[in-house]
Amino acid sequence: MLGAHAIDVGPVGMLAINIALLSLVGWALLRAERGLPDGREWTLLALLAIFGIFGRVLLEPLPNIQPVTVLVLVVGMQMGAKRAIALATVIALGSNLIMGHGIWTLYQALGWSLVGCLGAYAAPHLTSMPRIAGIAALSGVLFGWVISLSILHTLGPAMLPAYILAGIPYDMLHALGNLFFAAWLASPLAEMMERHQTVHLEATENVPVTA
Amino acid sequence: MSQFYGLAIFTVSLAVLIWFTLSSDNRLKGVSAFLLVMAVISAPTLNQEWARMTSELIDDEGNSHNGLPDIWLGKQVVCVDFPVGAAHSDYADGRHYIDYDGTDFMTETEFNGTGACVGGLSGYEDGFGMLLNATDIAEGDLEVVYSTSQYGVMIETIGGVDPCDYHTCSSTQGAYWSLYHNNAWSMVGIGDLVLVEDSVLEWKIETW
Repeated sequence: MLGAHAIDVGPVGMLAINIALLSLVGWALLRAERGLPDGREWTLLALLAIFGIFGRVLLEPLPNIQPVTVLVLVVGMQMGAKRAIALATVIALGSNLIMGHGIWTLYQALGWSLVGCLGAYAAPHLTSMPRIAGIAALSGVLFGWVISLSILHTLGPAMLPAYILAGIPYDMLHALGNLFFAAWLASPLAEMMERHQTVHLEATENVPVTA
Repeated sequence: MSQFYGLAIFTVSLAVLIWFTLSSDNRLKGVSAFLLVMAVISAPTLNQEWARMTSELIDDEGNSHNGLPDIWLGKQVVCVDFPVGAAHSDYADGRHYIDYDGTDFMTETEFNGTGACVGGLSGYEDGFGMLLNATDIAEGDLEVVYSTSQYGVMIETIGGVDPCDYHTCSSTQGAYWSLYHNNAWSMVGIGDLVLVEDSVLEWKIETW
């Protein structure tokens, strides 16, 4: 064998490749969305699910930084809790088929679903970018606490406070990542979703996002 | 820790600068991107500092690391227990825990005695090599004076403490630095001791 693919690019090189791939996926999905007629809500959700799965898998080298939480939050805000829960569950399961599926998938789906519900519930108040960014950052911490509940199956409740305390740096990274994704993605995502909404929200009004 | 505070001040200062430099539409984008890059770069350091700050002592009699910080589980450790009043002045207030990079991150003031443990070590196979490296990490406060003979390496003093300064030494009685390996008295001297990946060495003065 020639070993033509035996190139050691290192962790930074691999991360750069992954970010390039994610940019390519994002660009291709954006082009696909632009080609859709208005009102294709579930098709848009499918494209967002693909972006969420790829985003989580490709950004795995970065600790707890991925676009899924902000995606689910914005879907909750714009399309309602039911669609956010569906998206959260599909992304959790789809990404874990690559990254590893187990009982944690249930808690991840639950955590992201709660973020989506929070987005739907708080939508009337999320009228400016700083508010959305703030709730996105808070969602990172909320998600981390929900995920931490999975240790109840193995270590028991006595270890839960220590486990949550030890995970605070990771929660902070998640919060900062969400701040970044909210600042860059929330407005374009919200505009995209407005264009494709056919049925309006169960509990909240459609709220445009302004910078 | 000072390195951590320096990084925090630098990050906040630059974030404020970016905030006021950019237009109002791009402020959040610019600052969030900068903060994310800084967080990713400094994540290993921050995680390590946080782990040290939140570390707790292991309470498990059956564990060779019992009484040591939980972040050292599975790692190699060297402990020196000094007689009362004989510790180096830096260790006089209890038992100090010093990580592999020389950071003195925890002091157990309720420890019955004084001393220091250097831990978080890995990859050592011979006890003597790990002991000498641990003394280097403690920046000389645990300096070892030893002699060699046909019986192997003999530890004379650790941290300047000679056992005979605290116990009567004569032809019929004496005191020495006694070595324990994973909570058991070592049957061989430090020069012949073969380590495992989570070895805990403990030195304490005993009499004969």
